[in-house]
Amino acid sequence: MLRKLTLFLLSGVFLLMLTSCWDSIELNRRAIVSGMSIDKDLSKDQKYTVSFQVVVADEISGKNSRGNSPVVLYSGSGRSLYEALGNASRKVARYLSLGHVRVIIISEELAREGISDIMDFLERDSGMRLSSLLFISRGQPAKDILSIITVFGKIPSSDLVQKLETTSKGFGFNFKVETDDVIRGIEAKGAGAIINGVVVSGDQESGGSKKNVEDIEPKAILRTSGLAVFSKDKLVGFLDGAEGKGTSRLYNKLQQHDSIIELGEDNVAAFNIFMVHTTVKANAKDPEHPIINISIGQQAGLKESSGPLDLTRAEVLRDLEKRLSEQTKEETEAAVKAAMKFKSDYLGFSEAVERDNPKGWKKVQDRWNTVFTRCEVNIKVKSVIRHTDMRTRSFQSKTGNKKGGSS
Amino acid sequence: MRGPKIGLLQFFSLTLLFELGTALLVNVGMVSGRDAWISILVGCMAGLVIFAGYAYLYKLYPDMPLSRYAREILGKHLGAAVAILYVVMFMNTAGRDLRDGSALLVMATLHRTPILVVGALMILSCAYVLHKGIEVLARTSLIFLFLALSIGAIFTVLALLSGEMEWKRLFPVLGDGFLPVAISVVRQNYMFPFGEIICFTMLMPYLSNDRKGVWVIPAAMLLAGLLISYTSIVNITVLGSDMVERSPFPLLSTISKLALSELIQRLDILVVMLLIIGVFFKIAVFYGAALVGISDLFGLPYRTMIYPSALIILFSSILNARSLTEHLDEGGQLLSDVLPFFTIVIPTALIIVANFRRYRSASRPG
Repeated sequence: MLRKLTLFLLSGVFLLMLTSCWDSIELNRRAIVSGMSIDKDLSKDQKYTVSFQVVVADEISGKNSRGNSPVVLYSGSGRSLYEALGNASRKVARYLSLGHVRVIIISEELAREGISDIMDFLERDSGMRLSSLLFISRGQPAKDILSIITVFGKIPSSDLVQKLETTSKGFGFNFKVETDDVIRGIEAKGAGAIINGVVVSGDQESGGSKKNVEDIEPKAILRTSGLAVFSKDKLVGFLDGAEGKGTSRLYNKLQQHDSIIELGEDNVAAFNIFMVHTTVKANAKDPEHPIINISIGQQAGLKESSGPLDLTRAEVLRDLEKRLSEQTKEETEAAVKAAMKFKSDYLGFSEAVERDNPKGWKKVQDRWNTVFTRCEVNIKVKSVIRHTDMRTRSFQSKTGNKKGGSS
Repeated sequence: MRGPKIGLLQFFSLTLLFELGTALLVNVGMVSGRDAWISILVGCMAGLVIFAGYAYLYKLYPDMPLSRYAREILGKHLGAAVAILYVVMFMNTAGRDLRDGSALLVMATLHRTPILVVGALMILSCAYVLHKGIEVLARTSLIFLFLALSIGAIFTVLALLSGEMEWKRLFPVLGDGFLPVAISVVRQNYMFPFGEIICFTMLMPYLSNDRKGVWVIPAAMLLAGLLISYTSIVNITVLGSDMVERSPFPLLSTISKLALSELIQRLDILVVMLLIIGVFFKIAVFYGAALVGISDLFGLPYRTMIYPSALIILFSSILNARSLTEHLDEGGQLLSDVLPFFTIVIPTALIIVANFRRYRSASRPG
């Protein structure tokens, strides 16, 4: 009897151990951090100011909502990120939990000085995930990016993530850049990281309160803007427009975008480009002067034609295809030129060279950023216009043709 | 050897889980950079050759563990000394694996739990299963093998569908030639985890079928080699070889990258489960091998020494290093300098002496 009782009690003790709650922190003791921003601290003895966008669960779920802001921003400064985290933690009643950080925003000012030290923390900490997205706040303090109330979703960080996802799927050239992508970029020889830019446009002052979304037109809007490119870990510039598009295409991250061809005055054809595929190969028999061969394949659908083009004829489409290819080639050239200007091979040509000639690569790897600028780049583009969407000729082209016929 | 026997399938699953054990989780063969997966396969082949030697000894003495045929071959005193060395080595390796497991757990998830508590719970569960007997351990392994393989299947689906794998990170294959791979194999891969199969010489007498049984172990080793190599490929394609090289626990970082849209993500817990399962069987097999050795050497009943040995293993695991770094460093030295003595030198000596004796006794008939 006693033996049974002892066994029973003992198994009860082991049951307690099974919960393994030595480390547990209950949900209501945690403050879920959804976004982090890192700024340069202005005072002399500190290095970083880190702000944490913390989700206020009560405001999200609605039941116990007091109608306050759904997220709160806490900041702390320190000589290292961890010290800044500690200083910020003292302002929060709960344990700052970094496992759900979706976005990390670094200010442009800090990025120009180098981000290696930051990246080490982001990579090393076991609470952080490698899948957090990185952004560079363009010309603004990074903190401002996190203090905007957004329209869709109550958590601004998630809103930014969704904006990035939608722009990467259509119309934009920004793409997901996660912690490990940046580290690989910094590590690669003669190269650098590449990170999305982000800005708040509009009235920053009223963006931080709920007033921002009370009107039909939001007062301040958060949006992605350009690609920040680095030489090693230092920001050297931003790529917009053609350069940005070309760079994203070389990364094979341009999934779907718009493209316009101007054929003359009041004669514009707009395309939706999709199924873009880029391969970068190197011919590095002479590693001092590698030849980079880029071939791009893309498909297009005509979306808009404001001129008298007769789109029922295949040769008209052929001609448009040629123009599209040329334009793509120009964009890609612009991207390559920009990289050569910055002397930073963030485009990853080095990998192609290493794959082609591993032994030759060994000889040039330490001075790749100068060898890189000597690369000969050949670009081949193949475009196919698959369809002209729901109509063939434009209604304008009919009149245009009649005029042409009568005259 | 008298006593219960272990079926072929169960022996297979025990061997497979033992081989996968910690090797699946720590970065194996990263001396060779992005060619780690090749060095694992080469290491596996070398391991199979080494195992052929053990199989030969097993054929000569099918119902004796290593500790007994060592005495048979080398004589009572020298043989006993060798057997004691092996028991010490098995216990030390069990302790090292216990430290591997508990240190990684503490580092990755249980930040504030004392390493002693994690280690004690783990060694106690091993002791419990071994108390039930080696054959229970083998049966347990079959159940956990299904669990481990389903985790592997989920991991594979996730890796393929998440789009995080970049195959070009594996190229150029053998860019620096074969030398780094060879160095990695000699320093580490043929011993870890394949040379460690030496402890199965203590368990092989339990095989229910000694003719087919010899083939079960190399089959499991081969499969384990392929699986470890595959995991290494996934790690390198997801993280890049440099990041894998800098991670003591790369699989956890890899799985934190994998996600199926918003729906399925943060499956880190699966990897932690894999860690616990793998480490459990690795410790249990070394621990069991040591127990069989002790009971055979000193004629003690097998169960008597379970708890004293558990204490020794637990404390050696805590005391042998101050930090994970020191521990891993020590492990590297053991693999390249000490373990080959046990897995190659002594077994080779045993084979030579055994043959010599047989030759002598055969040449003088009558």
